[in-house]
Amino acid sequence: MRQAVATGRVVSGRRSSGLLLLAAACTATACLPAVLALLVATRHPSHPAVVAVAAGLAVSVVAALVAGRRMARALAGLERRGDALCGELLRLAKPASLGEIAFSIAHDLNNPLAIINEEAGWLRDLLGESRLDNESVRREFAGSLSQIASQVKRSSEITGRVLEWAREQDRRGDAEGADVNEVLTATLHLLEPDLGRTADVRVVKRFDAMLPRAGLSSGDIGQVFLHLTKNALDAMKDTGGTLTVSTERAGTTIRVQVSDTGPGIAPEVRESIFEPFFTTKASGEGTGLGLAISAWIVRRAGGRIEVDTAPGGGATFRVVLPVRAAGERSGGSHAGGSTAVGR
Amino acid sequence: MRVVRLLLVDDEARFVETLSKRLALRGYYVETTCSGAGALELVGAKPFDVVLLDVRMPGMDGLETLCAIQRVQPLIKVILISGDASIGAAVEGMRHGAVDYVLKPSSLDDLLAKVDSAFEKKRLEEEQAGGTPAR
Repeated sequence: MRQAVATGRVVSGRRSSGLLLLAAACTATACLPAVLALLVATRHPSHPAVVAVAAGLAVSVVAALVAGRRMARALAGLERRGDALCGELLRLAKPASLGEIAFSIAHDLNNPLAIINEEAGWLRDLLGESRLDNESVRREFAGSLSQIASQVKRSSEITGRVLEWAREQDRRGDAEGADVNEVLTATLHLLEPDLGRTADVRVVKRFDAMLPRAGLSSGDIGQVFLHLTKNALDAMKDTGGTLTVSTERAGTTIRVQVSDTGPGIAPEVRESIFEPFFTTKASGEGTGLGLAISAWIVRRAGGRIEVDTAPGGGATFRVVLPVRAAGERSGGSHAGGSTAVGR
Repeated sequence: MRVVRLLLVDDEARFVETLSKRLALRGYYVETTCSGAGALELVGAKPFDVVLLDVRMPGMDGLETLCAIQRVQPLIKVILISGDASIGAAVEGMRHGAVDYVLKPSSLDDLLAKVDSAFEKKRLEEEQAGGTPAR
Protein backbone atom coordinates (compact mmCIF):
# COMPACT_ATOMS: atom_id res chain seq x y z
CA MET A 1 0.00 0.00 0.00
CA ARG A 2 1.39 3.32 -0.94
CA GLN A 3 0.51 6.42 0.90
CA ALA A 4 0.04 10.05 -0.04
CA VAL A 5 -0.56 12.89 2.34
CA ALA A 6 -2.64 15.90 1.44
CA THR A 7 -0.35 18.67 0.34
CA GLY A 8 -1.95 21.93 -0.51
CA ARG A 9 -1.25 24.31 -3.32
CA VAL A 10 -3.06 26.90 -1.32
CA VAL A 11 -0.92 28.79 1.17
CA SER A 12 -1.20 26.65 4.23
CA GLY A 13 -0.55 27.65 7.80
CA ARG A 14 2.13 25.01 8.05
CA ARG A 15 4.05 26.18 5.01
CA SER A 16 4.08 29.87 5.88
CA SER A 17 5.13 29.22 9.46
CA GLY A 18 8.04 27.26 7.94
CA LEU A 19 8.99 30.31 5.90
CA LEU A 20 8.81 32.45 9.03
CA LEU A 21 11.26 30.09 10.73
CA LEU A 22 13.56 30.40 7.71
CA ALA A 23 13.47 34.20 7.95
CA ALA A 24 14.29 34.03 11.65
CA ALA A 25 17.18 31.65 10.96
CA CYS A 26 18.61 34.00 8.28
CA THR A 27 18.44 36.91 10.70
CA ALA A 28 20.17 34.90 13.43
CA THR A 29 22.95 33.83 11.02
CA ALA A 30 23.48 37.48 10.04
CA CYS A 31 23.65 38.47 13.71
CA LEU A 32 26.34 35.97 14.66
CA PRO A 33 29.43 37.62 12.97
CA ALA A 34 28.18 41.05 14.06
CA VAL A 35 28.09 39.99 17.70
CA LEU A 36 31.59 38.51 17.33
CA ALA A 37 32.86 41.75 15.71
CA LEU A 38 31.32 43.83 18.48
CA LEU A 39 33.04 41.63 21.08
CA VAL A 40 36.38 42.16 19.30
CA ALA A 41 35.72 45.91 19.07
CA THR A 42 35.07 46.23 22.81
CA ARG A 43 38.35 44.40 23.51
CA HIS A 44 40.37 46.57 21.13
CA PRO A 45 38.47 49.87 21.19
CA SER A 46 41.47 51.85 20.03
CA HIS A 47 41.95 50.16 16.67
CA PRO A 48 40.05 52.23 14.04
CA ALA A 49 39.82 49.37 11.55
CA VAL A 50 38.10 47.18 14.09
CA VAL A 51 35.71 49.98 15.00
CA ALA A 52 34.92 50.56 11.33
CA VAL A 53 34.26 46.87 10.68
CA ALA A 54 32.16 46.64 13.84
CA ALA A 55 30.12 49.70 12.88
CA GLY A 56 29.61 48.36 9.34
CA LEU A 57 28.48 45.03 10.67
CA ALA A 58 26.15 46.67 13.17
CA VAL A 59 24.49 48.57 10.31
CA SER A 60 24.04 45.38 8.28
CA VAL A 61 22.58 43.61 11.33
CA VAL A 62 20.03 46.38 11.75
CA ALA A 63 19.26 46.17 8.04
CA ALA A 64 18.90 42.38 8.24
CA LEU A 65 16.61 42.70 11.26
CA VAL A 66 14.44 45.26 9.48
CA ALA A 67 14.33 43.08 6.34
CA GLY A 68 13.48 40.04 8.45
CA ARG A 69 10.59 41.80 10.13
CA ARG A 70 9.28 43.05 6.81
CA MET A 71 9.47 39.53 5.43
CA ALA A 72 7.59 38.23 8.44
CA ARG A 73 4.92 40.89 8.00
CA ALA A 74 4.62 40.14 4.30
CA LEU A 75 4.32 36.43 5.02
CA ALA A 76 1.67 37.03 7.66
CA GLY A 77 -0.21 39.12 5.10
CA LEU A 78 0.13 36.36 2.51
CA GLU A 79 -1.15 33.83 4.99
CA ARG A 80 -4.16 36.00 5.77
CA ARG A 81 -4.82 36.40 2.08
CA GLY A 82 -4.38 32.65 1.53
CA ASP A 83 -6.90 31.94 4.27
CA ALA A 84 -9.31 34.45 2.78
CA LEU A 85 -8.92 32.80 -0.65
CA CYS A 86 -9.54 29.36 0.83
CA GLY A 87 -12.58 30.69 2.64
CA GLU A 88 -13.83 32.05 -0.65
CA LEU A 89 -13.11 28.74 -2.38
CA LEU A 90 -15.03 26.92 0.34
CA ARG A 91 -17.95 29.31 0.00
CA LEU A 92 -18.02 28.79 -3.76
CA ALA A 93 -17.63 25.04 -3.53
CA LYS A 94 -20.45 24.57 -1.06
CA PRO A 95 -23.16 25.21 -3.58
CA ALA A 96 -21.35 22.72 -5.83
CA SER A 97 -21.60 19.90 -3.34
CA LEU A 98 -25.09 20.98 -2.29
CA GLY A 99 -25.89 21.05 -5.99
CA GLU A 100 -24.87 17.41 -6.24
CA ILE A 101 -27.06 16.60 -3.27
CA ALA A 102 -29.90 18.58 -4.80
CA PHE A 103 -29.72 16.40 -7.92
CA SER A 104 -29.85 13.31 -5.83
CA ILE A 105 -32.76 14.64 -3.75
CA ALA A 106 -34.66 15.72 -6.86
CA HIS A 107 -34.30 12.25 -8.30
CA ASP A 108 -35.34 10.57 -5.06
CA LEU A 109 -38.39 12.78 -4.71
CA ASN A 110 -39.39 12.57 -8.35
CA ASN A 111 -39.81 8.81 -8.15
CA PRO A 112 -42.52 8.85 -5.46
CA LEU A 113 -44.01 11.96 -7.07
CA ALA A 114 -44.25 10.13 -10.39
CA ILE A 115 -46.09 7.28 -8.68
CA ILE A 116 -48.47 9.69 -6.93
CA ASN A 117 -49.01 11.35 -10.30
CA GLU A 118 -49.93 8.05 -11.97
CA GLU A 119 -52.16 6.95 -9.08
CA ALA A 120 -54.04 10.26 -9.20
CA GLY A 121 -54.36 9.88 -12.97
CA TRP A 122 -55.63 6.32 -12.56
CA LEU A 123 -58.24 7.49 -10.02
CA ARG A 124 -59.37 10.08 -12.56
CA ASP A 125 -59.50 7.38 -15.24
CA LEU A 126 -61.65 5.24 -12.95
CA LEU A 127 -64.00 8.14 -12.23
CA GLY A 128 -64.41 8.58 -15.97
CA GLU A 129 -65.44 4.94 -16.18
CA SER A 130 -68.19 5.76 -13.64
CA ARG A 131 -68.69 2.30 -12.25
CA LEU A 132 -67.91 3.26 -8.68
CA ASP A 133 -70.31 0.81 -7.11
CA ASN A 134 -68.42 -2.05 -8.73
CA GLU A 135 -66.41 -4.04 -6.17
CA SER A 136 -63.25 -4.34 -8.30
CA VAL A 137 -63.26 -0.61 -9.04
CA ARG A 138 -63.54 0.08 -5.31
CA ARG A 139 -60.53 -2.17 -4.75
CA GLU A 140 -58.59 -0.22 -7.40
CA PHE A 141 -59.53 3.00 -5.62
CA ALA A 142 -58.40 1.70 -2.25
CA GLY A 143 -55.13 0.42 -3.76
CA SER A 144 -54.31 3.75 -5.39
CA LEU A 145 -55.14 5.74 -2.28
CA SER A 146 -52.97 3.60 -0.07
CA GLN A 147 -50.14 3.91 -2.64
CA ILE A 148 -50.47 7.69 -2.53
CA ALA A 149 -50.27 7.63 1.26
CA SER A 150 -47.22 5.39 1.30
CA GLN A 151 -45.42 7.41 -1.40
CA VAL A 152 -46.04 10.57 0.60
CA LYS A 153 -44.49 8.82 3.62
CA ARG A 154 -41.52 7.81 1.47
CA SER A 155 -41.09 11.42 0.33
CA SER A 156 -41.20 12.76 3.86
CA GLU A 157 -38.49 10.27 4.84
CA ILE A 158 -36.31 11.74 2.11
CA THR A 159 -36.86 15.32 3.25
CA GLY A 160 -36.31 14.15 6.85
CA ARG A 161 -32.87 12.77 5.97
CA VAL A 162 -31.93 16.02 4.23
CA LEU A 163 -33.07 18.03 7.23
CA GLU A 164 -31.15 15.81 9.64
CA TRP A 165 -27.96 16.42 7.69
CA ALA A 166 -28.67 20.12 7.33
CA ARG A 167 -29.17 20.40 11.09
CA GLU A 168 -25.80 18.74 11.68
CA GLN A 169 -24.32 21.18 9.18
CA ASP A 170 -25.89 24.08 10.95
CA ARG A 171 -24.09 23.36 14.20
CA ARG A 172 -21.01 24.90 12.67
CA GLY A 173 -20.43 27.45 15.38
CA ASP A 174 -20.71 24.98 18.22
CA ALA A 175 -18.08 25.50 20.86
CA GLU A 176 -18.28 21.85 21.83
CA GLY A 177 -16.61 20.49 18.72
CA ALA A 178 -18.08 17.89 16.40
CA ASP A 179 -19.47 14.56 17.53
CA VAL A 180 -17.78 12.67 14.71
CA ASN A 181 -19.92 9.53 15.06
CA GLU A 182 -23.13 11.54 14.89
CA VAL A 183 -22.05 13.52 11.84
CA LEU A 184 -20.95 10.32 10.07
CA THR A 185 -24.30 8.69 10.86
CA ALA A 186 -26.22 11.65 9.43
CA THR A 187 -24.01 11.60 6.34
CA LEU A 188 -24.63 7.89 5.73
CA HIS A 189 -28.39 8.46 6.14
CA LEU A 190 -28.22 11.19 3.56
CA LEU A 191 -26.53 8.80 1.15
CA GLU A 192 -28.99 5.95 1.66
CA PRO A 193 -30.74 6.51 -1.67
CA ASP A 194 -27.36 6.51 -3.44
CA LEU A 195 -26.65 3.21 -1.72
CA GLY A 196 -29.87 1.74 -3.05
CA ARG A 197 -28.94 2.86 -6.53
CA THR A 198 -25.39 1.57 -6.49
CA ALA A 199 -24.76 -2.02 -7.42
CA ASP A 200 -24.77 -3.97 -4.13
CA VAL A 201 -22.76 -1.92 -1.69
CA ARG A 202 -22.53 -3.19 1.87
CA VAL A 203 -21.90 -0.63 4.58
CA VAL A 204 -19.80 -1.59 7.59
CA LYS A 205 -19.66 0.84 10.51
CA ARG A 206 -17.05 0.49 13.23
CA PHE A 207 -17.55 3.40 15.58
CA ASP A 208 -15.63 3.99 18.77
CA ALA A 209 -18.48 4.71 21.20
CA MET A 210 -16.18 6.56 23.61
CA LEU A 211 -14.93 9.02 21.00
CA PRO A 212 -14.20 12.52 22.33
CA ARG A 213 -15.33 15.57 20.37
CA ALA A 214 -13.14 16.79 17.54
CA GLY A 215 -11.57 20.24 17.41
CA LEU A 216 -13.66 21.55 14.54
CA SER A 217 -17.32 22.23 13.79
CA SER A 218 -19.91 19.65 12.70
CA GLY A 219 -20.63 21.67 9.59
CA ASP A 220 -17.06 21.54 8.40
CA ILE A 221 -16.39 17.90 9.13
CA GLY A 222 -19.79 17.03 7.61
CA GLN A 223 -18.57 18.44 4.30
CA VAL A 224 -15.44 16.30 4.50
CA PHE A 225 -17.35 13.10 5.31
CA LEU A 226 -19.85 13.74 2.53
CA HIS A 227 -17.07 14.13 -0.04
CA LEU A 228 -15.18 11.05 1.15
CA THR A 229 -18.22 8.76 1.34
CA LYS A 230 -19.61 9.95 -2.00
CA ASN A 231 -16.24 9.34 -3.63
CA ALA A 232 -16.11 5.86 -2.10
CA LEU A 233 -19.58 5.04 -3.45
CA ASP A 234 -18.70 6.42 -6.86
CA ALA A 235 -15.63 4.19 -6.91
CA MET A 236 -17.88 1.13 -6.46
CA LYS A 237 -20.69 2.32 -8.73
CA ASP A 238 -20.23 -0.47 -11.27
CA THR A 239 -18.74 -3.26 -9.24
CA GLY A 240 -20.43 -2.99 -5.86
CA GLY A 241 -18.38 -3.78 -2.78
CA THR A 242 -18.01 -2.75 0.82
CA LEU A 243 -17.93 0.75 2.27
CA THR A 244 -16.23 0.64 5.65
CA VAL A 245 -16.44 3.65 7.92
CA SER A 246 -14.58 3.54 11.20
CA THR A 247 -13.67 5.90 14.01
CA GLU A 248 -11.14 5.48 16.81
CA ARG A 249 -9.20 7.54 19.25
CA ALA A 250 -5.41 7.56 18.90
CA GLY A 251 -3.80 9.61 21.68
CA THR A 252 -4.75 13.25 21.22
CA THR A 253 -6.22 12.57 17.78
CA ILE A 254 -9.38 11.04 16.33
CA ARG A 255 -8.89 8.76 13.37
CA VAL A 256 -11.70 8.37 10.86
CA GLN A 257 -11.30 5.91 7.99
CA VAL A 258 -13.46 5.69 4.89
CA SER A 259 -12.57 2.63 2.81
CA ASP A 260 -13.95 1.30 -0.43
CA THR A 261 -13.22 -1.91 -2.32
CA GLY A 262 -13.29 -0.20 -5.71
CA PRO A 263 -10.53 -0.18 -8.33
CA GLY A 264 -8.17 1.98 -6.24
CA ILE A 265 -6.41 5.13 -7.33
CA ALA A 266 -3.93 4.90 -10.20
CA PRO A 267 -0.34 5.81 -9.20
CA GLU A 268 -0.14 8.57 -11.83
CA VAL A 269 -3.10 10.45 -10.38
CA ARG A 270 -2.51 9.72 -6.70
CA GLU A 271 -0.35 12.78 -6.15
CA SER A 272 -2.92 15.06 -7.77
CA ILE A 273 -6.13 14.02 -6.08
CA PHE A 274 -6.00 16.81 -3.48
CA GLU A 275 -5.38 19.52 -6.05
CA PRO A 276 -8.24 21.91 -6.73
CA PHE A 277 -10.17 21.16 -9.93
CA PHE A 278 -8.50 17.79 -10.38
CA THR A 279 -11.08 15.12 -11.16
CA THR A 280 -11.20 11.75 -12.85
CA LYS A 281 -14.98 11.90 -13.11
CA ALA A 282 -16.78 12.62 -16.35
CA SER A 283 -17.43 16.27 -17.04
CA GLY A 284 -20.52 17.43 -15.21
CA GLU A 285 -20.17 14.70 -12.58
CA GLY A 286 -17.43 16.12 -10.39
CA THR A 287 -16.16 19.59 -9.66
CA GLY A 288 -12.68 18.47 -8.64
CA LEU A 289 -13.07 20.51 -5.47
CA GLY A 290 -14.28 17.91 -3.00
CA LEU A 291 -10.92 16.55 -1.87
CA ALA A 292 -9.13 19.90 -2.12
CA ILE A 293 -11.72 21.51 0.14
CA SER A 294 -11.71 18.52 2.47
CA ALA A 295 -7.92 18.63 2.81
CA TRP A 296 -8.07 22.34 3.48
CA ILE A 297 -10.80 22.08 6.13
CA VAL A 298 -8.94 19.31 7.95
CA ARG A 299 -5.55 21.02 7.73
CA ARG A 300 -6.98 24.27 9.05
CA ALA A 301 -8.22 22.41 12.11
CA GLY A 302 -4.71 21.06 12.64
CA GLY A 303 -5.39 17.61 11.19
CA ARG A 304 -4.47 15.80 8.01
CA ILE A 305 -5.90 13.46 5.37
CA GLU A 306 -3.94 10.46 4.17
CA VAL A 307 -4.78 7.93 1.51
CA ASP A 308 -3.77 4.29 1.18
CA THR A 309 -4.44 2.73 -2.15
CA ALA A 310 -3.25 0.03 -4.49
CA PRO A 311 -4.46 -0.52 -8.04
CA GLY A 312 -7.29 -3.01 -7.83
CA GLY A 313 -7.17 -2.96 -4.05
CA GLY A 314 -9.58 -0.17 -3.15
CA ALA A 315 -8.77 3.04 -1.36
CA THR A 316 -8.75 4.11 2.27
CA PHE A 317 -8.96 7.78 3.19
CA ARG A 318 -7.84 8.43 6.73
CA VAL A 319 -8.77 11.70 8.41
CA VAL A 320 -6.72 12.49 11.48
CA LEU A 321 -8.38 15.18 13.61
CA PRO A 322 -7.23 16.77 16.83
CA VAL A 323 -9.34 16.03 19.88
CA ARG A 324 -10.98 19.24 21.06
CA ALA A 325 -8.84 20.63 23.86
CA ALA A 326 -10.73 21.28 27.10
CA GLY A 327 -12.07 24.83 27.26
CA GLU A 328 -11.10 25.55 23.67
CA ARG A 329 -13.59 26.94 21.20
CA SER A 330 -13.95 24.68 18.25
CA GLY A 331 -11.72 25.66 15.39
CA GLY A 332 -12.87 25.74 11.85
CA SER A 333 -15.90 27.92 12.27
CA HIS A 334 -15.48 30.60 9.70
CA ALA A 335 -17.07 33.68 8.28
CA GLY A 336 -19.55 33.15 5.50
CA GLY A 337 -23.19 32.35 5.03
CA SER A 338 -25.17 29.45 6.35
CA THR A 339 -25.35 26.25 4.35
CA ALA A 340 -28.67 25.06 5.67
CA VAL A 341 -30.90 23.47 3.08
CA GLY A 342 -34.46 24.61 2.77
CA ARG A 343 -34.69 27.09 5.59
CA MET B 1 -53.94 1.69 -37.63
CA ARG B 2 -52.42 -1.15 -35.69
CA VAL B 3 -52.02 -1.21 -31.94
CA VAL B 4 -48.80 0.33 -30.61
CA ARG B 5 -46.74 -2.25 -28.75
CA LEU B 6 -45.06 -0.68 -25.74
CA LEU B 7 -42.47 -1.99 -23.33
CA LEU B 8 -42.26 -0.12 -20.03
CA VAL B 9 -38.99 -0.51 -18.11
CA ASP B 10 -38.50 1.03 -14.65
CA ASP B 11 -37.26 -0.31 -11.33
CA GLU B 12 -40.20 1.38 -9.57
CA ALA B 13 -42.63 -1.56 -9.70
CA ARG B 14 -45.74 0.41 -8.77
CA PHE B 15 -44.94 3.08 -11.35
CA VAL B 16 -44.87 0.60 -14.24
CA GLU B 17 -47.93 -1.19 -12.90
CA THR B 18 -50.17 1.87 -12.71
CA LEU B 19 -48.86 3.54 -15.84
CA SER B 20 -49.39 0.34 -17.81
CA LYS B 21 -53.02 0.16 -16.64
CA ARG B 22 -53.55 3.73 -17.82
CA LEU B 23 -51.89 3.06 -21.17
CA ALA B 24 -53.89 -0.14 -21.67
CA LEU B 25 -57.09 1.81 -20.99
CA ARG B 26 -56.10 4.04 -23.92
CA GLY B 27 -55.67 1.18 -26.33
CA TYR B 28 -51.96 0.49 -26.15
CA TYR B 29 -50.51 -2.99 -25.81
CA VAL B 30 -48.19 -2.80 -22.82
CA GLU B 31 -45.71 -5.15 -21.22
CA THR B 32 -43.61 -4.23 -18.23
CA THR B 33 -40.36 -5.20 -16.57
CA CYS B 34 -38.32 -3.76 -13.71
CA SER B 35 -34.77 -4.28 -15.00
CA GLY B 36 -32.54 -3.78 -17.99
CA ALA B 37 -31.89 -7.51 -18.20
CA GLY B 38 -35.64 -8.19 -18.20
CA ALA B 39 -36.08 -5.66 -21.00
CA LEU B 40 -33.45 -7.35 -23.14
CA GLU B 41 -35.09 -10.72 -22.66
CA LEU B 42 -38.52 -9.39 -23.70
CA VAL B 43 -37.17 -7.46 -26.67
CA GLY B 44 -35.42 -10.61 -27.89
CA ALA B 45 -38.59 -12.67 -27.56
CA LYS B 46 -41.44 -10.40 -28.71
CA PRO B 47 -42.00 -7.54 -31.15
CA PHE B 48 -42.25 -4.04 -29.67
CA ASP B 49 -42.55 -0.63 -31.31
CA VAL B 50 -41.55 1.69 -28.50
CA VAL B 51 -39.62 1.15 -25.26
CA LEU B 52 -40.08 3.57 -22.35
CA LEU B 53 -36.83 3.18 -20.45
CA ASP B 54 -35.81 4.53 -17.06
CA VAL B 55 -32.28 5.96 -17.07
CA ARG B 56 -31.31 5.19 -13.49
CA MET B 57 -31.73 1.58 -12.53
CA PRO B 58 -29.60 -0.64 -10.33
CA GLY B 59 -27.54 -3.20 -12.19
CA MET B 60 -27.78 -2.56 -15.93
CA ASP B 61 -28.65 1.12 -16.23
CA GLY B 62 -30.79 2.80 -18.88
CA LEU B 63 -27.96 3.76 -21.23
CA GLU B 64 -26.45 0.27 -21.22
CA THR B 65 -29.89 -1.21 -21.81
CA LEU B 66 -30.51 1.27 -24.65
CA CYS B 67 -27.32 0.22 -26.45
CA ALA B 68 -28.03 -3.48 -25.94
CA ILE B 69 -31.63 -3.13 -27.23
CA GLN B 70 -30.41 -1.39 -30.35
CA ARG B 71 -27.98 -4.19 -31.08
CA VAL B 72 -30.82 -6.74 -30.88
CA GLN B 73 -33.60 -4.66 -32.46
CA PRO B 74 -32.24 -1.59 -34.26
CA LEU B 75 -35.70 -0.45 -35.40
CA ILE B 76 -37.25 -0.20 -31.93
CA LYS B 77 -37.71 3.40 -30.76
CA VAL B 78 -36.53 4.11 -27.25
CA ILE B 79 -37.80 6.98 -25.10
CA LEU B 80 -35.83 7.62 -21.92
CA ILE B 81 -37.51 8.39 -18.61
CA SER B 82 -35.48 10.35 -16.12
CA GLY B 83 -36.21 11.19 -12.51
CA ASP B 84 -33.56 13.84 -12.20
CA ALA B 85 -33.71 16.98 -14.23
CA SER B 86 -30.18 16.31 -15.44
CA ILE B 87 -30.16 17.02 -19.12
CA GLY B 88 -26.78 15.23 -19.27
CA ALA B 89 -28.12 11.68 -19.27
CA ALA B 90 -30.84 12.60 -21.75
CA VAL B 91 -28.34 14.14 -24.17
CA GLU B 92 -26.08 11.14 -23.76
CA GLY B 93 -29.05 8.87 -24.47
CA MET B 94 -30.09 10.79 -27.58
CA ARG B 95 -26.52 10.50 -28.83
CA HIS B 96 -26.80 6.76 -28.42
CA GLY B 97 -29.95 6.64 -30.47
CA ALA B 98 -32.86 7.33 -28.10
CA VAL B 99 -35.57 9.27 -29.95
CA ASP B 100 -36.79 11.35 -27.01
CA TYR B 101 -36.93 11.65 -23.25
CA VAL B 102 -39.51 12.48 -20.60
CA LEU B 103 -38.94 13.77 -17.10
CA LYS B 104 -40.63 12.21 -14.08
CA PRO B 105 -43.29 13.09 -13.11
CA SER B 106 -44.82 13.92 -16.47
CA SER B 107 -48.33 14.35 -17.78
CA LEU B 108 -49.80 11.38 -19.60
CA ASP B 109 -50.69 13.59 -22.57
CA ASP B 110 -47.05 14.60 -23.05
CA LEU B 111 -45.94 11.02 -22.72
CA LEU B 112 -48.51 9.78 -25.24
CA ALA B 113 -47.59 12.51 -27.73
CA LYS B 114 -43.98 11.33 -27.59
CA VAL B 115 -44.93 7.67 -27.83
CA ASP B 116 -47.17 8.33 -30.85
CA SER B 117 -44.55 10.35 -32.64
CA ALA B 118 -41.90 7.68 -31.98
CA PHE B 119 -44.27 5.04 -33.31
CA GLU B 120 -45.01 7.14 -36.40
CA LYS B 121 -41.29 7.47 -37.05
CA LYS B 122 -40.82 3.73 -36.80
CA ARG B 123 -43.76 3.08 -39.13
CA LEU B 124 -42.33 5.43 -41.77
CA GLU B 125 -38.91 3.81 -41.53
CA GLU B 126 -40.49 0.40 -42.00
CA GLU B 127 -42.38 1.63 -45.05
CA GLN B 128 -39.20 2.99 -46.56
CA ALA B 129 -37.42 -0.25 -45.76
CA GLY B 130 -39.75 -2.11 -48.10
CA GLY B 131 -43.27 -2.01 -46.82
CA THR B 132 -43.08 -5.12 -44.65
CA PRO B 133 -43.24 -4.23 -40.99
CA ALA B 134 -40.16 -5.39 -39.21
CA ARG B 135 -40.98 -7.49 -36.17
